[in-house]
Amino acid sequence: MSARFLENDRLADLLVALETEGLGEEDTRELDRLIADDPGASRDALAGAASAALLAVRVPMQPLPPSLHGRLVEQGRVTVREATAAKVVQLPRREPGTGTDAAPAGSSRLGWYAAAASLLLAVAAWWPRMSTEVPVPVAQAPAEPSYAEKRQQLLDSDSPVVQVAWSGTEDPASQEVGGDVVWDEATQTGYMRFTGLAVNDPGQEQYQLWIFDATRDDRYPVDGGVFDIPPDGGEVVVPINAGIAVREPALFAVTVEQPGGVVVSSRERIVAVAQVAAG
Amino acid sequence: MSESLMTRIARGDDSAVAACIEQYGSLVWAIARRLLRNQSDAEDAVQEIFTDVWRSAHRFDPSAGTEKVFVTTIARRRLIDRIRRVANRVQTESADVLDELGFHTPDTAADVSVEAELAARVLQTLRPEQRKVIELGLLHGLSHSEIAEATNMPLGTVKTFMRRGLIQVREKLGVSVGETEQ
Repeated sequence: MSARFLENDRLADLLVALETEGLGEEDTRELDRLIADDPGASRDALAGAASAALLAVRVPMQPLPPSLHGRLVEQGRVTVREATAAKVVQLPRREPGTGTDAAPAGSSRLGWYAAAASLLLAVAAWWPRMSTEVPVPVAQAPAEPSYAEKRQQLLDSDSPVVQVAWSGTEDPASQEVGGDVVWDEATQTGYMRFTGLAVNDPGQEQYQLWIFDATRDDRYPVDGGVFDIPPDGGEVVVPINAGIAVREPALFAVTVEQPGGVVVSSRERIVAVAQVAAG
Repeated sequence: MSESLMTRIARGDDSAVAACIEQYGSLVWAIARRLLRNQSDAEDAVQEIFTDVWRSAHRFDPSAGTEKVFVTTIARRRLIDRIRRVANRVQTESADVLDELGFHTPDTAADVSVEAELAARVLQTLRPEQRKVIELGLLHGLSHSEIAEATNMPLGTVKTFMRRGLIQVREKLGVSVGETEQ
């Protein structure tokens, strides 16, 4: 099975590097360009070969630690159920004056910028990473109970739920952002509620949540999932889908990323932040 | 033919989750433990990997390979990402340590997967130093530069060995698919 595109030395080198040591931003862009220029080329051209070669190594098998096994099963079931259900439910517009989700006024926003300066530097440092093919949430079909109802149930529960209002940034998508995020550490569930966050074109870009955990290095926030804001207006409630356990959330941040949540560019677009009060 | 685990997961059958973890959990854990330094990092990585598996299940194409290769590809790429961003790469190891593992023979690899068997057939034909380059890159998580340093090979040679080896494995897998289809 010949693949003429692999005769392109540079393309082949980049594909090999992708599967063995990863690519930086510049190389990723170059790979994308080369693939776009060659209709026969595929980003996954060597993925199967690399995996097969890895499987051919005598790797001593080790059983999963029991506690990890339990977490995987629990989170897996939740993820699978939610991935096949609605991802976002639209609600009627809020009545003026209701809710607790308005973004703080300018002074507190400025305060956030000052307080979060070091954190944003950490975000910038962390930026170039990210996986190649993180898939997606998407569209919406009403579910029973709705995410809005689940969110309310969470707030009404006895759990000590974290609830923090979103603050906007200077990003154009975030000018009118409001709403809040609620998170229950005990059940590792949470919901984001948005108003005024710009509608995105899922074919061009998607929003992605990152959760900064005080017990982890700020450079490596937890991936909270990818989501869309549909064009119909009103409030949108999105479930949080944390990839790993969040022990002590310190900050929730929403960014604009490539479709599927892949981050390969220098588009440092943070569109909403919600900082959890210390203590 | 029974429905694949990925197909079941993609259509929301959460009973397939536990079966998938039973099937591939030890493999993913073993790879993560090889590539990451400490248990806590490996546990976080495995959670990320399986989250990707659940979300990506709908993209599994049985004509392109087995589920084991599908899961291994997700694991491998996630771990590469993690190593790059955490700077947690296993430090360049001595040649003594690097001799620990080695490859299956085609016979023993057949117990792992059909792709592993085919890859083992290719790898068996390679020179030992070329096999070592592939092993160091894929299972020890070393960058090409680190492999060059660990083996005292020129960087260009390392890249050439890696590239030729993977392309040969790819061709072997492609031929196999063609033969199967006839």
